[in-house]
Amino acid sequence: MTTTTPTPRAAPPRRPRRLLFGNRPTRSPLLRALVKHSVMIITLVLMLYPLLWMVGASFRPDNQVFSTLGLFTGDFTTDNYRDGWTGGDQLNFSRFFFNSLTLTVLCIAGNLISCSLTAYAFARLDFRFKKTLFALVIGTLLLPYHVTLVPQYILFNQLGWVNSFLPLVVPKVMATDAFFIFLMVQFIRALPRSLDDAARIDGCGHWGIFRRVIVPLSIPAFGTTALFTFINTWNDFLGPMLYLTEPGTWTVSQGLASFLDATGQSAYGSLFAMSTLSLVPVLGFFIAAQKLLVEGIATSGLK
Amino acid sequence: MRIRSAAALATAGLLTLLTACGQSLPDHTEDELRGQGEVSGDIRFSWWGSASRNERTNAVADAFEAEFPGAGVKREAADFGNYFKRLNVQGAGRNMPCVTQLQARTLGDFTDRDALLPLDPMIESGAIDVSDIPEAVLDTGRGPDGKLYMLPTGAAYDALMVNETLAEEAGAPLPAPGYDWEDYIDFLRRADAGLPDDIAATSLRGGLPNFFIAYVQGRGENMFDGNQLGFSKELLTEYWQMWQDITEEGLTNSPAANSEEPTSPEAGYLAQGDVLSDNRPGNALTPAQGTLDGAGEGQRLTTLPLPGGPAGPGNVLITSGMAIPRNCGNVPTAAAFIDFWANDERSGDIYASDNGAVTNTRLLQRQLDDPELPDLKKRELTLYQDIVENDPPIVLYPPGYMAVFESAFTRAYDDVAFGSATVPEAVDTFFAEANAGLAS
Repeated sequence: MTTTTPTPRAAPPRRPRRLLFGNRPTRSPLLRALVKHSVMIITLVLMLYPLLWMVGASFRPDNQVFSTLGLFTGDFTTDNYRDGWTGGDQLNFSRFFFNSLTLTVLCIAGNLISCSLTAYAFARLDFRFKKTLFALVIGTLLLPYHVTLVPQYILFNQLGWVNSFLPLVVPKVMATDAFFIFLMVQFIRALPRSLDDAARIDGCGHWGIFRRVIVPLSIPAFGTTALFTFINTWNDFLGPMLYLTEPGTWTVSQGLASFLDATGQSAYGSLFAMSTLSLVPVLGFFIAAQKLLVEGIATSGLK
Repeated sequence: MRIRSAAALATAGLLTLLTACGQSLPDHTEDELRGQGEVSGDIRFSWWGSASRNERTNAVADAFEAEFPGAGVKREAADFGNYFKRLNVQGAGRNMPCVTQLQARTLGDFTDRDALLPLDPMIESGAIDVSDIPEAVLDTGRGPDGKLYMLPTGAAYDALMVNETLAEEAGAPLPAPGYDWEDYIDFLRRADAGLPDDIAATSLRGGLPNFFIAYVQGRGENMFDGNQLGFSKELLTEYWQMWQDITEEGLTNSPAANSEEPTSPEAGYLAQGDVLSDNRPGNALTPAQGTLDGAGEGQRLTTLPLPGGPAGPGNVLITSGMAIPRNCGNVPTAAAFIDFWANDERSGDIYASDNGAVTNTRLLQRQLDDPELPDLKKRELTLYQDIVENDPPIVLYPPGYMAVFESAFTRAYDDVAFGSATVPEAVDTFFAEANAGLAS
């Protein structure tokens, strides 16, 4: 009988510590955290500086807006907010905010309904030419918006839709945002088909499966779609500029552009004041939907 | 059966779509083409400008509606750059507003498409009165066929804007009236010797088309010959070499600084007191001075005509005005609106030459006689009068001028300024690109 003496296993080589600067590891965790946070804070300040400068400039008189690169220097005034908000009978930002919000809500609703139904069809149904149609839908992502601009305008003009929200909302109801269809298809494909089968045994048809199984489980994808649609619609300028021509129908982005003109006198103070206010809804929506956004992107493979 | 139904539905949808895409223009009667008929009903009116100009424009439109209670004006405004983007799409869709503001530089884009109605019959019938507009100014609204397609209502011009205070401190007297390019460069040299190191004598403007137009006019060459460039390669080579020479001499700011400069007059380097002189639109004097006042150093700006040459003055007028597109269904009201805008004293007083000096001499004199007219505005209007007295040449801009010529010109000079091309190479590239683009 032989006995074997277990040989002591060699300790695994220690992973080299991550170095921030130079070759020598920082010894104190406190120092390491301090360096890390300092770098992050400096980067943050650099990134936020233009935004903070805009906020500072919105509180300066119009002729001092460009007088300094400092943040909160010069005379202080809130006139830009008053003048910008009620710039005249044709230029009223309460109207522009209302228009933007209305348009955004309609576009979000349109995209959520149409893209999710389309995505369900591509992810769960079997029909002829499915792959070809899906490739066509994805192919539209390669088509620049400007290529279809004039034909679309001619069509909507002949339909009498110019100067209304219809040219901006109706395409959303018709599942024309291929990116969101792709996002939802990816998400739905990741859901187990056994759930569909269970629902089918319980008597659900496609509509029942979609409503009772797919929609409740796809909330992160819905959140991502809603958030991106919100940001895209809120910031869109070209579409509203073409189709919403009368000042009463303008959105916030058009209202902001109306403060500037290369051939005349611009109102930078009012522009910065209203730009500051226009960021509030976007920031609020982003903060509210941040968790869904990350989840939606992570689980649909769109990293 | 289901497939057949779907096919029928698709065919019906396609037919609807094709029908919807069919273009149609109103059939105007002879009277309508002469601007005759009842002034009533709605018209659409579009212009470019920012909030302050929009207010003035709306007030004029309100005055028109008060004068003609049966007529209504639907308003469409946008800033200059976006205005023409939208107008091009509207033009393609035959949906231009009944009264469309245009600029002489863009007129060719629309006459080329036969999108506008000639205004001459409306002038002959008396629907539009042009008796107070100088003939030389009126001619800037004509198309290649000699017909008037745009009634010029405002005349802008580019000027040499100078920080008078800095020039005095540097011991450089302003160029005398009738100065040429050599005098201009002498002025820059004298000023540069007395200026602080961080202030350039001029912004680098070799890539600015309007400055070059003044150079071409002073040399007596033509800007365009139909849809081709009308000046010689030698002239452009000489011009860009001149800018290269004064840049090397240190009279201009750097190409990098120049490319980073904001476009609006309030935010530009001249308004910040960072350069002594620059080529700027004449109506930029008031906003630029406003920013300079904000710095609190008490500096004064003034404007001079652009340098001339052996053939005469360099300045040309850049007029803006109003046109009636062929798709307009209410020509009499559109003609009445243009006439009101161009001739009514209320219109002149309210608008107050906000987009170039008012072209109607009676309204212009009325503004100049106003004791409350600010000094800077008076300077802008009197300089316009001086330029008109010198009978400025008329440039007939071909279609695609702004999209092709201006962008190619600036890009080619940037290649020179940043050392990517020699002057002769850039000139060759520019001529090839511009001639090909304008011809198409």
